[in-house]
Amino acid sequence: MISFFLGLLIIFGCSENKKKKQEATRWKFSKEIPLENISPIGIVAEGNFLWLSDVDKNRIVKIDLDGKIIEFFDGFQRPMHIAIQEDKIYVPEYISDTVKIIEKGIVSTLELKENADAIAGIAVDVNTFAVADFYNHRIILEQEDKVTILGKEGHNDGELYYPTDVAIKNDLIYVADAYNNRAQVFDLKGNYVRMIGLNENIKVATGLKVTDTQVIIADFEGNRILIYDLNGNLLQIISDKFNQPTDIEIVSNTMYVINYNGSSISVFNK
Amino acid sequence: MKNIFKQTGVLVLILLFSMASITTINAQTNDQKLTYVKVEVKGLACPFCAYGLEKKLKDLDGVESIKIDVEEGLVYLTVFKSKKPLKEKLEKIVTDAGFTPSSIVFSKKSFTLKDEN
Repeated sequence: MISFFLGLLIIFGCSENKKKKQEATRWKFSKEIPLENISPIGIVAEGNFLWLSDVDKNRIVKIDLDGKIIEFFDGFQRPMHIAIQEDKIYVPEYISDTVKIIEKGIVSTLELKENADAIAGIAVDVNTFAVADFYNHRIILEQEDKVTILGKEGHNDGELYYPTDVAIKNDLIYVADAYNNRAQVFDLKGNYVRMIGLNENIKVATGLKVTDTQVIIADFEGNRILIYDLNGNLLQIISDKFNQPTDIEIVSNTMYVINYNGSSISVFNK
Repeated sequence: MKNIFKQTGVLVLILLFSMASITTINAQTNDQKLTYVKVEVKGLACPFCAYGLEKKLKDLDGVESIKIDVEEGLVYLTVFKSKKPLKEKLEKIVTDAGFTPSSIVFSKKSFTLKDEN
């Protein structure tokens, strides 16, 4: 009898510890940063500053953590989901089908080997580039001279329907498969690996962020953020804090979610 | 001294009148050269959709400018009269871009956009 109660105590203790651990890793709303007339689609962090693509005004804006505009570069043609590597900002242009690079205040063009039709997002990992080719329903992966095509139009495993964002992490390619209402994972050879978010009724999976432990998806029409582990197990859903969220950036224990319609940034902490 | 004021006043009035006339003439010239089209589109909710449609319409021959109202689902086109597109062609572009056109209205005068009010 004593050992039975001891066993129960151990099980109860373990589950409490697990709960506490989970609670400690949950994202909690901290504040909202209003933006000065910016309609953001993409966000990346650089030190204590954030870079945003302001699609309606065709510009890339650098703001401080209070939302104040520090500098901006205009003349882009509908800039979408941007990426950063070292001090280079990669800007995909939806209208011109090219990628621009902002480096030390100078804008240049990245030559892509494959033609795209409306580049909605870009991911960069050393010399590997992945772009979301919206109207061709695919991801173009460029590694040095090698070009690999990920996905084709459709709704089955490994098929895409208007992809809008892409991320590279640990030799895997994560895709915001926007109008299939999910995220998909491919390997560098273009093989389908897994599906994420299929059971949560995502309305439009517009943007995503991948960390060492989590995949975070922005549900634009559902006004939600969905957080999964790398295997696609749901960890947390956050709602009520967004107005058409399009992208996510994470800096250590702070998560920034940009709101296209709300013209603001929702900030969360762990 | 009074005369100088009078003369300056007259000159200013002439200048203002000339500027107003030039603006009116320019507007008339533009209206003679251009046609204005308002396309109402269903499902234009997200910026990827809206600017995708903008991209497809920009490829149309004779388009002078495009303005999109994402919130209202409206696309305003300014096209050269000599290259005025057929309604059917516009419908096809909208449909091929993945949307349903609710209405397409041609006008000789420019439309008043929401943010211009």
